Amino acid sequence: MAAADRVTDRQITAVIVDDHAAIAAGVRAWCERATPPIDLVDAEGRLAWVWTGRGAAADVVIFDLELVPGRPDFGALRRLVDHGRRVVVYSQHADNATAIKCVDLGALAYLTKREGADHLVPAIRDAAAGRPYTAPSLSGALMSDNAPDRPRLSTRETEVLRAWFASSSKELVARKLDITVKTVDTHIARVRVKYANAGRAARTKSDLVSRALEDGLITLAELNTP
Amino acid sequence: MAERTGAATRARLHHGLRIATLLVATAIVGGLGLTNLLRNLDRYESATAQLVAIAALAAVLATDAVLVVLRRPWWSRARLPAVAVVLAASALSYATLPEGRTSTTVDWAFGAANWVGLVVLLDRPLRSLLAFLAAHELTALLHLLSLEEPTRAALLRFATGSVNVIGYPLCVAVVTVALRRIGTAAARAQREIEQVRTAEAVAVESHRRRRQRFAELSGSTVPLLEGLADGSLSPADTGVRRRCAIEAARMRRLFAEIDTVADPLLHELRHCADIADRRGVLVDFDARGRCPPLPVPVRRDLTEAALAALATAGSWARVTVVGEPALVSVSVVADCGGIAPPEPASDGIRVETFRDDDLTWMEVTWQQPTGSRTGRSPR
Repeated sequence: MAAADRVTDRQITAVIVDDHAAIAAGVRAWCERATPPIDLVDAEGRLAWVWTGRGAAADVVIFDLELVPGRPDFGALRRLVDHGRRVVVYSQHADNATAIKCVDLGALAYLTKREGADHLVPAIRDAAAGRPYTAPSLSGALMSDNAPDRPRLSTRETEVLRAWFASSSKELVARKLDITVKTVDTHIARVRVKYANAGRAARTKSDLVSRALEDGLITLAELNTP
Repeated sequence: MAERTGAATRARLHHGLRIATLLVATAIVGGLGLTNLLRNLDRYESATAQLVAIAALAAVLATDAVLVVLRRPWWSRARLPAVAVVLAASALSYATLPEGRTSTTVDWAFGAANWVGLVVLLDRPLRSLLAFLAAHELTALLHLLSLEEPTRAALLRFATGSVNVIGYPLCVAVVTVALRRIGTAAARAQREIEQVRTAEAVAVESHRRRRQRFAELSGSTVPLLEGLADGSLSPADTGVRRRCAIEAARMRRLFAEIDTVADPLLHELRHCADIADRRGVLVDFDARGRCPPLPVPVRRDLTEAALAALATAGSWARVTVVGEPALVSVSVVADCGGIAPPEPASDGIRVETFRDDDLTWMEVTWQQPTGSRTGRSPR
């Protein structure tokens, strides 16, 4: 948790790559209003700016998957992740396949543009600390994932994912399932660790798994159960 | 469909006429023609040429007979050669005809070749047959004028013979055209009858559905409207207003039920969400997976909770749908206060309600009853 603590000591910076000026302006407003505020750099839809200047130094990259409409740029996402960047994918797409692919490539969060400040701000904070954030839409995608090589989730985990997807309120999930909010978070985090342990290798993913093992969030035995 | 029956009617009429014409032509060529030819065989300049001519005509008739049996029309490419064969046969016959015998019993081809031509040209426009008959007449006339002494008696004989030679086949051709018209008219009439029948069936069915819809509304909407009309229910009452909102949503769903869409459940839910949207309620709608085809009563049970919650939500609602091959769940979370959970009418429906202050969370799940198989493959 040392790395995470260091990040929270100073102001988090994030860079947004989105070809829609209104989205960037809206996200800037949310970041400024957040407590503590998040410093946002607008790359004005140019991927190059994420790699140079202030963009290169940002803790988190908020990435619009479709800078060219109709062509999700998974290659750019992979390059970002391979260079150790912590990426929050902010996409118009709501389909399962896109969301799961982004997670598999190593994005720490996947949000649809219907999901606003309530989810984007916590996602940026979690990503800055190297933690995954699972928004309700991604929860829905993980819950209904029926790929043959998907990680095996426990009944409780699926139940929590389902409830979080349905209500988009962790307090409500906690009260309905009669558990604490922290337990809700733990279940969701365990799902992400299981997903991070599967598929394509990426640094963000292996970091996530090793941290989960260190923190005792999950055991090696649980992880290796097919 | 109607086009096809029309074409069938026409084809049947035409086929009958074709058989009749072929029989007449065969009788004339094989009966009259051949008898006359054989009886006068020794009078021709070349009996062989006459026999070749009649054989050519017989060959054309035989070809037509085969086509009639196969129920096929003449190939458009073979038609002209066939007509040429007929004309050539009559020309050959005239070339070896003894002098002064045009349009007598010796001139068997005059009254026979015209029928063979008719057989070939029966389904063609009238002008084709007229052209053929003119050519046929011209052959005989040319023979008469150039090779014989055109006596007054011979010309008169020729004129009388021509009336038969042109007149009878022409009659048949005119009848063919008339029959064709009758066939078209009959087909049109049949089509009209079918259209009327379809319209009638549609009207009966929509009337039945309208009555059914009215019956479905009569349990809930009608008492509300009656109450409002006789003043026993006051629009100022919040409860009455909520009931009105729910009934409006039900009617909207009813209208959406008849739409033909890929996913009717989502379509109906979107209509319910639209009502909340219009009232300024922020509706969050998300669907995962694919719903199996569901009957209307099951869909109604599934949407009922969402409908009521959306119709009465204060400011916010989240509706989610999860579809699996044998399980569909519709969940709604809304700040609609306490509303009564719906009572499902179909089998395999489970309603779960959770209340937290002003928030109501209802989840309706349909699980395919075990043992019933709908033959759907998993996604």
